[in-house]
Amino acid sequence: MLTRDTYKELEEAVGQEHVSQEPAVLDGYAWQPTYNDSPVKWVIRPEAVVLPKTTEEVQAIVKACNRHGLKFKAFSTGWGVWNGPTTEGVILLDLCRMNSILEIDDKNMLAVVEPYVCGAQLQAEAMKVGLNTHIIGAGPNCSPLAAATSMAGVGWDGIYMSHSARNVLGVEWVLPNGELLRLGTLGSGAGWFCGDGPGPSLRGIMRGYVGAQSGLGVFTKCAIKLFHWPGPQQMKLDGLLFDARADLPKNVKFYLCFFPNMSSLSHAVYRIGNAEIGYNAFRIALGAYLFLGMPRLYRKLLKTKALRALFEEVFKYCWEIMLVADSEQEMEFQERVLREIVSEAKGLPLDMMLAPPLGSMLLMNVLRSTIPPLAFRIGGLFGSALPRNDAWDSQANWAEVSEGIKKEWVEKGGIMDDMIDNPFMVNYEHNAWAHCEEVFLYDAKNQKHLESLESVYMDFTIAAIEQCMESMMGFNPRIRKLISPLAGNYNRWQKAISQTLDPNAAADAGLYTGEEDFDFSRMDPDKRKRLEGLLDKHKWPESTPPR
Amino acid sequence: MSLADYQTDMEGCSRCSSCKWVPYNQIKSWRYARVCPSIVRHHFHAYSGSGRMITGLSILHGRSELNETIADLIYRCQLCGACDVSCKVYRDDIDLTEVLLELRSTCVEQGLVTPEHMSLIDGLKREDNVFGEPKTERGTWAEGLEVKDINRERVEVIFHAGCRYSYDKDLWGVARGALTLLKMAQVDVGIAGKEESCCGGRVYELGYRGEAMNYAEDVRARVKASGASTMVTACADGYAAFKYIYPRIGIELGIEVMHVSEYLQRLVQNGQLRITKSVPAQVTYHDPCHLGRMGEPFLGEWKDDKLLRPMRLKRAGRNGIYDAPRHLLKSIPGIELSEMERIREYAWCCGSGGGVLEAYPEFASWTATERLKEALSTGADAIVTACPWCERIFRDTATDAGIDIQVYDLTELVLKAVEQP
Amino acid sequence: MPIKGATKIRNKLMKIVGTDALEEQAPRAGTYASSLHPVSVENTLCMVRPKNTEEVQRIVQLANEMTFNVVPVSSGPPHVHGATVPAAPGIIMDLSSMQTIRRVDRRNKVAIIEPGVTFPDLKAAAEGEGLKVLMPLLPRASKSVIASYLEREPITIPKYHWDMTDPMLCTELVFGTGDFFRTGSAAGPGSLEEQWAKGGAQKNPLGPAQTDFMRLLQGAQGSMGVVTWASVKLERTPKMRRLYSVSDSRLERLIELSYAMLRRRLADEFILLNHSSLASIFANDLGKENLSTKTLPDFTLLYCLSGYDEYPEQRIAYQETDIARIAQSCAQKPRRGVGEMSGQRALEVIDNPSPEPYWKQRMKGAYLEIFFLTTLDRVPTFFGEILDLMAGHDKPSSELGIYIQPIQQGRSCHVEFDLFYDPSDRAEIQRAENVFREASNRFADLGAFFSRPYGSWSEIAYARCPDTVQALKMVKGIVDPQGVFNHGRICF
Repeated sequence: MLTRDTYKELEEAVGQEHVSQEPAVLDGYAWQPTYNDSPVKWVIRPEAVVLPKTTEEVQAIVKACNRHGLKFKAFSTGWGVWNGPTTEGVILLDLCRMNSILEIDDKNMLAVVEPYVCGAQLQAEAMKVGLNTHIIGAGPNCSPLAAATSMAGVGWDGIYMSHSARNVLGVEWVLPNGELLRLGTLGSGAGWFCGDGPGPSLRGIMRGYVGAQSGLGVFTKCAIKLFHWPGPQQMKLDGLLFDARADLPKNVKFYLCFFPNMSSLSHAVYRIGNAEIGYNAFRIALGAYLFLGMPRLYRKLLKTKALRALFEEVFKYCWEIMLVADSEQEMEFQERVLREIVSEAKGLPLDMMLAPPLGSMLLMNVLRSTIPPLAFRIGGLFGSALPRNDAWDSQANWAEVSEGIKKEWVEKGGIMDDMIDNPFMVNYEHNAWAHCEEVFLYDAKNQKHLESLESVYMDFTIAAIEQCMESMMGFNPRIRKLISPLAGNYNRWQKAISQTLDPNAAADAGLYTGEEDFDFSRMDPDKRKRLEGLLDKHKWPESTPPR
Repeated sequence: MSLADYQTDMEGCSRCSSCKWVPYNQIKSWRYARVCPSIVRHHFHAYSGSGRMITGLSILHGRSELNETIADLIYRCQLCGACDVSCKVYRDDIDLTEVLLELRSTCVEQGLVTPEHMSLIDGLKREDNVFGEPKTERGTWAEGLEVKDINRERVEVIFHAGCRYSYDKDLWGVARGALTLLKMAQVDVGIAGKEESCCGGRVYELGYRGEAMNYAEDVRARVKASGASTMVTACADGYAAFKYIYPRIGIELGIEVMHVSEYLQRLVQNGQLRITKSVPAQVTYHDPCHLGRMGEPFLGEWKDDKLLRPMRLKRAGRNGIYDAPRHLLKSIPGIELSEMERIREYAWCCGSGGGVLEAYPEFASWTATERLKEALSTGADAIVTACPWCERIFRDTATDAGIDIQVYDLTELVLKAVEQP
Repeated sequence: MPIKGATKIRNKLMKIVGTDALEEQAPRAGTYASSLHPVSVENTLCMVRPKNTEEVQRIVQLANEMTFNVVPVSSGPPHVHGATVPAAPGIIMDLSSMQTIRRVDRRNKVAIIEPGVTFPDLKAAAEGEGLKVLMPLLPRASKSVIASYLEREPITIPKYHWDMTDPMLCTELVFGTGDFFRTGSAAGPGSLEEQWAKGGAQKNPLGPAQTDFMRLLQGAQGSMGVVTWASVKLERTPKMRRLYSVSDSRLERLIELSYAMLRRRLADEFILLNHSSLASIFANDLGKENLSTKTLPDFTLLYCLSGYDEYPEQRIAYQETDIARIAQSCAQKPRRGVGEMSGQRALEVIDNPSPEPYWKQRMKGAYLEIFFLTTLDRVPTFFGEILDLMAGHDKPSSELGIYIQPIQQGRSCHVEFDLFYDPSDRAEIQRAENVFREASNRFADLGAFFSRPYGSWSEIAYARCPDTVQALKMVKGIVDPQGVFNHGRICF
């Protein structure tokens, strides 16, 4: 409960005009429909919102929360249900005033950013010096700092620019007690170039495959890796999205490759990985371009059997790949290798640059990952089955399994019909490992859809466990309680870290360590039996791994 | 309409925050990446397009009340339409500007108005102009120009000056220049002089729909009586009112409405005006909101599910006037035109729209300062625009803030460049 | 000083590992210690050699129960950093007999190995599958792969060093509490075999969930937990390889060339050496006379271009052309091979562990190494500094070996200064030690990052980051609350 005196402390810390308890203003942070599987899209309203400008102001707020038994949560671009408080009494730190790019070190290929720099801003500045930044799949409106320190980090450019978790260098971190921790070289006054050490790396507690969602404090500055970009320093283009027409640089190419089946696609993906070509590469169903770009036509297509079959069968296994090169010879080599591999895999490579309007549209939208917010265009909200990643073969397996689940629910009318197979697959670091999430759509105005959501996610969870993958919906406290015992009881360790670093439980750690009981009574009895069987089979007996 | 009519729009907001940014493919730098003056200035999410929609939803869902604080938040918005453009890059089913206008109207209905807006309305009711200046002096700007009075003679083309050009002496030169050009081109043009009244556009945006309707009806009557087939205006606010607001509220003028920039381009293309003289200047062009994205004509009503609305009825700012001014500038010998980063339908607002100039002059001035800095960043010495409101705030801000930049209206430069008959 | 309960501890340990796997004698001086990182072997109760994870866990549980220190070791001797002898009363847990290579997966380019697997062991297994091991520069033949990767020893191919944890992937480990854990995608659900059956290959090093537990063990010198197996990245053996060298008297020019090449990920192996290090590494091929007389160029960049399965010649050809263009702009001229030595022979040397004598011992018989991380553009500053320090202590600059290894795809580098000296000459020992001490402190002041703070560097490094120390101690308190693992090391 925020008393008048405590409110005054907050005002003193950041300035009167930068604190608000006005209900309608607070609700600006409580409306969170994205990835929100509850029928009610409002989340818990924060107790107050503060707008710090500096690290010192962040510390002051956090310390005040510690003193007065309040909780806090950091918030940057704020897209997604996980941004909202998970409990009452949370002071939300909207970091929008901390929005600077502090440094771009061209030689050593890194940038130092504050929380409210968005991916598009960083990319625009990086390209001026021949560099580029990993932009997460959610889009260029998101914060690279948040992706690197606190959230996930999957992106279409993973083949060349990896995953946000792998791109972190020095970090400035306000711990849950308000004290400052600087990771790696930053802490030793040696610059920003390394986030690990000396000795053991505290990056290890900052985040894992995903981040703590402010459950471990507030990250106020972060150095992240930039990557070579041999393309234009500024893409000259007209148009905004699907009408984007760019001057096509000669040293950038974009191919759509179609394969007859998953096995062929996988063969090609592995070979392409070994050949170490590609700058952006991903699998999105061809139909997805339609429902994103031409939803009216898409609705008609859904009802047209022959056309539908074309997309669902013939063009099902579509792999998009961007090639960039510093020289003509390099591009010749990459194209030759790509064509050979695709041909060997009985696939068909289509050079999109032969159709400049299409090519430039695809190029620009892929380069900046500008397409994702279109996912809401067809009228639904979307969710995805996000398991933990591993080798490509495991993700290919997951794509096929999760497609089956989707098919069942589309046929039951529990989710929207989007031609079923809508995986988003990328690989990282020239196919060192890979990611697959099966996207599904639902209509928030459709009662049956809303009622089905929990069951849909549970079906995915059951299947994930059967496929030996941890469901990434471990953000969900009910899922975490189920899954943690199957993976070394990791939450026991995370709780210990949380309790040690945050003795006053000031950080809103609901999405980090929170656990809730799952209501099995609402489950289909057969599925419940299956799930309970799996939980029993895979749980670690007394802290020994399964044999 | 009421706020409840927009519930689906508001509930459609996914909170992606695209409304705060220049459409992403057009972000060219860190510095000029943001497009909404209100959120940049005031920071809380509620000050963004999405934030205001959520505010409306919060009120509609009974989670909060519309009070003075929230009304203030609603009014701190130039209604520039940039958020709508950015949102519509991705969405077909949200008419953000409509929601913002509805919030204004709701505030007025509930008596939550600013004293400055009240004063404007009072003045308007008294004198038929937004400055409350004597109606009798409205035509003074055209003295000595020997132009037809449409109240007495029928004309082919009506020239609508607008309140700002009528009463802002510093800007009379633009209106006079425009009229001069039309006469040079031997256009059968006339003005309403002191009988001209406000178009009502600005007050519609303030939320005073009844008053706006009154003025729209008045304009329609005058236009009909004039016998004209075309109305040309040099005021972007008026242009947007005639092209969008009037049809929106069911007022059809029944004639072609053009902005002076498009009309001048037509005259040049037809050979009625010849641009031959050199006007050496390094300039950049500012797209007025009401000429560009907000000047896109009303495309028609769609009462059904907006997800099924045909694309031809989706108003996304693409079809505003962007090219005519640029063609004119590029055709003037000696003009070097450099573009700012935020242009066309994603231009940064001048700051004076939506009642902000009147109620929050400091915010308006701050917005204009941002724009002038962006103009200077192109290397240009001058900023050219085609709207009196933009011109006025740019001039004042340049002076007050000590920014060394010339401010021109497009018409002034064309007048300098045109061959005398 | 006798250790309390020593006999009881030994007896219980014998019950766990068997009498054959327990040695009561203290290790030979020099086997686990060095003069510059002095440790007392008096704290060593015994050495045990567990054979499997269960034995490891039981040993750690016993250590918690009876409160004694455990120092995990997996490489063979000598151990020069002094991290492998108990600083507090306890045992050495030698994992070198856990030598199983559980799996080599060609398709996914990964191997699962135990701690006792050395680089020669893994190389042999990998080569059979057409794969190559990512190695540090000429490690000792007895070096454990897991130990090397846990220590964050830099590998010689920067483009494969995507993150500081590379090439380590997933691990099975025992925390100081005696709890098992698995990191990354190995954590579960499912056993390894069950995961393999579903296409998994333990290739995702992150997590599980919201903690990268494996990062806590890397660089910890065995003070957080012990790894009982790990999945490690391999790469495909190229179909074609060519080695090139570029020499210059000015380090700055080679650094400029390096930046341009690394940015574009041109080249696989990429190593910068000064004349002394070059002479030492290639003594058998370039001639031992180079060890005593400076005839080799001041600085040499060695890099390898590789062609893989698809059009290998074309790959090498375009890289050769592009590099030539870059080199020309830097006023450099790459050559095939290294001096009179063929590229193929040079690669044979680089691709393998160091034959005896260990390469750093070839110049004068002994060496002290100072290594840290920095960025390439700062290396000349440190070079200038050490030359000044050596001059100040009358140590000839010819006795300085320099090895610069770009890491993190060129974003930073491991810089190593090796001070060669004659171990039989007291004056030389003293000079080397003096330079070592002064340089270590001076470099830290200049921003050198002792990422791997062995011995005396521990104090230097941790004095600079008290907030890191505090946090590390908190974490230590979670995973090893009784402090049984390598007590007294780093900042614990």
